[in-house]
Amino acid sequence: MTHFSYKNYIIPIFLQLTITGFGMLFTDALGMVNMALIHLIPVLVIAVYGDMKATMLITTISVILFDVLYVPPKYSFSVHDLLYVWSFILFYAVGYIITFQAIRLRSNAIKDILLNTLSHDLKTPLASILGNAAILLKEKSISEADKEEIAHQIKRSGIQMNRLIQTLLDSARIQNSKAFMRYEWCDIQDIIGIALQEFNRDDKGIRIAIDHDLPLYWGDEALLIRLMVNLIDNAMKYSGYSSSPIRISVTMQTSEIIITVFNPSDPIPKTDLRDMFEKFYRLDSTGDIKGSGIGLSICKEIVDAHNGYIEAYNAEGGIEVRVALPIEKLYTSNKEYIS
Amino acid sequence: MTKDLVLIVEDDLAISKMLHYMLKQDGYKCMISENLKNALRTFQTHNPEIILLDLGLPDGDGKSFIKTVRKETTIPIIVVSARHDEQEIVAALDAGADDYVIKPFSDIELSARIRSAQRRSIGVSPSHDSIVCGDIILELDALVVYKKGIALNLTPTEFNLLKYFMMHPNQVLTHANVLKEVWGVGYQNEMHYLRTFVNSLRKKIEDDSSRPHYIVTQMRVGYRFNCENEKL
Repeated sequence: MTHFSYKNYIIPIFLQLTITGFGMLFTDALGMVNMALIHLIPVLVIAVYGDMKATMLITTISVILFDVLYVPPKYSFSVHDLLYVWSFILFYAVGYIITFQAIRLRSNAIKDILLNTLSHDLKTPLASILGNAAILLKEKSISEADKEEIAHQIKRSGIQMNRLIQTLLDSARIQNSKAFMRYEWCDIQDIIGIALQEFNRDDKGIRIAIDHDLPLYWGDEALLIRLMVNLIDNAMKYSGYSSSPIRISVTMQTSEIIITVFNPSDPIPKTDLRDMFEKFYRLDSTGDIKGSGIGLSICKEIVDAHNGYIEAYNAEGGIEVRVALPIEKLYTSNKEYIS
Repeated sequence: MTKDLVLIVEDDLAISKMLHYMLKQDGYKCMISENLKNALRTFQTHNPEIILLDLGLPDGDGKSFIKTVRKETTIPIIVVSARHDEQEIVAALDAGADDYVIKPFSDIELSARIRSAQRRSIGVSPSHDSIVCGDIILELDALVVYKKGIALNLTPTEFNLLKYFMMHPNQVLTHANVLKEVWGVGYQNEMHYLRTFVNSLRKKIEDDSSRPHYIVTQMRVGYRFNCENEKL
């Protein structure tokens, strides 16, 4: 489950207020039963997409409003007819059952997407490995050059699978619990260097600019490396055949470290830019490019885990992903060890 | 062509076959043990020149094997490991292993590790008053470092750190190890000193400090100082 943000409370609470106003005006005309049903609406709304905590909160508000405004004696918490206590219990029961079912359906949907994506993204390189290996074994008359190309393809597919598996392992680590985060003082420049090692010699076209006096950053090194690997991988995939370089910059601002990764590309519609970091999202126009939506969604998870912010926007001649990592613990270098 | 005997201790047949094949290409002879008991016997009867050791074996802990071997000889021991157990790697290095490769690894990586471990075990005599690595010269007595003939302005700690790296080229130096040797006992956990000074040292000795050539990070384990002079 992703975090349920306070923003999601706005709609049910607004509904709640509207209904209350409406109810106050037409209580006599509608009667008590209809009043009770109307007050169930916000409960249903939050139950469909919220978590249990949110549902219970909204249900409580509904019950209180219903009790105070309509249940005699009006404008008091006391209840004369004990029958109404059953109404209150039913409110909670409805909220609980719907939330429970909705969460189950949602997690099934996520599992389906995960399985589909995984089976595609793991099976594609696997098919290439098995197919190419079979050719090497069967065809005796392949030229040396072809043999080499086939072997290279096997290796590339293996690397691709390896990267995906690493990404999944890291993703599982975050989703399990934030308690699994391993915080330490990280050198961002070193992290970028390690990330670049994953691309062997393919990284020559990448320009890097890092603030000279960047302090150490308190974060999870392995996750930040994964973040950079995925951002670079993404930038390379979507650069197409453009000859202009990918650019990485790291700058220090008052309370944040800002990392940007730019790659040449045609402009991307705003809605796509926003949805890019959603789980397993892939731009429609890029169906032929290998890779899953997992890469960028885990970038968002990693940045979220560091309480940071990630966004993508159209820049001149390409798109830029910008990561802001808040400095939650400031590194003060110990001058006495410098001499 | 070398005819050194390599003892491969690995229980997974696919991996041991692949290792055997890679090493055969490089001209080594190989023996394969699938467990520690067998490995110990082979070690004692055949006197291998190199040991490749998988840490996850069915009959126990590779570290005890490393310690047993270390009591008798200094031959290179290279640990072959899966990615998630960096702490195991550090423990194995502390127990006396020379180096490690992480699955999946390439044949190039493996031969490089074996070659540099062999060079080390043959015995490096630190040459007199200066150490040379690529375009870097460190003068031990004069306390000066030159890159491409130009003297660098290093702080004393940076100098000591570089000196320690250059005296132990091409091998994995664990974080705790470097901290203890350069800063002193009691500083083993002060990782941030190391991070800070490696960063500032790279800015001075590397051509591109984002793509370091000399001081290479071994993620979660330590650093390796690359030195390609053949005379080492």
